[in-house]
Amino acid sequence: MSNKHLFLIPGFIRTPLQNGVGRYVGQLQRVVLKFCKNNGSSRGMREFIESGLVNFANENPGVVVYLKPRRHRTAVIKAEYLNGDSQWINCRNFTQEEVLKWLILLKSQSKNATGTRIKKLWHTDHPSIQGPWTPYTFRDPELNLVEFPNDILSKPAIMERSSQDELIELFNNKKIEELESKRAE
Amino acid sequence: MVFTTAVNFVRSRGPDEFWRKRRIFRLAAAFYGRKRNCYSIAVRYVHRALVYATKGRKLRKMDITSLRQTRVQAACEQHNINYETFREGLTRSDIMLNRKTLADLACWEPYTFKALTDIALRRGVDDGLINITKTESLDRIITRGSLQSNK
Repeated sequence: MSNKHLFLIPGFIRTPLQNGVGRYVGQLQRVVLKFCKNNGSSRGMREFIESGLVNFANENPGVVVYLKPRRHRTAVIKAEYLNGDSQWINCRNFTQEEVLKWLILLKSQSKNATGTRIKKLWHTDHPSIQGPWTPYTFRDPELNLVEFPNDILSKPAIMERSSQDELIELFNNKKIEELESKRAE
Repeated sequence: MVFTTAVNFVRSRGPDEFWRKRRIFRLAAAFYGRKRNCYSIAVRYVHRALVYATKGRKLRKMDITSLRQTRVQAACEQHNINYETFREGLTRSDIMLNRKTLADLACWEPYTFKALTDIALRRGVDDGLINITKTESLDRIITRGSLQSNK
């Protein structure tokens, strides 16, 4: 609602050059996997590199994968896109499935969208089809010509059933039952 | 030889003071007087502003919900049914509309909203939620179980 906060940059959802309308070009250019060779926080990353990385690289021939073993540093994925911006994901204590999931997310993105507040595309010049509510929408125009005091309008609009009404109805139903049972005999 | 790990052990404070304070001053740009220009004063008020913003996110949702509920309540009171009975009648008729949609309908599509109140009224009378004398105008409103109950 308010645009005064400075943390998020507002923007619409866009694709570069109508990507996907004709041909789809993956917007991820390169991915750098940095990891430590023996620290435990990089274990998931190392396991991913041993098992799932080659498959990922083969499935995505358009993405260049770099490996950077960096001792005493935490595991990190750095992604760079075709439009030039880069994204940095800390992979400390990730499992190998988590690393793969993040890589698949990066593959499907076209730019670094963190810190973007997505603006909605809908707009209408005609929000109402039946006409917006006015105080006169459900008012009877006859009220214009009425003279008060008025017998009918002075009564309550809805009458709830009183207990007297219910008793009368019960009595009448019982009477009808007795009549019908007599007729059956 | 390049010793990349040695950099990790350096404990200098670094040249970031300007940038660190700039992050606070950017958020305090619209404040008054020294709260805008002096760091140690600005920091306190920026932290309070951030706390208010955090709390306000929940309050905003609560405010909007209660506004929508007030609007729906006003609209259905005009059609002689109260809010709780209206919601109960709609859910029993499997019409699952939330406060937002009901409020939008009440404001922009009043006749559709009247139809919804009619359904809720009929269902309420059938199920015993509403205690009014049955009139002919009620019989023209047909809900799912109303034809069987008429028999």
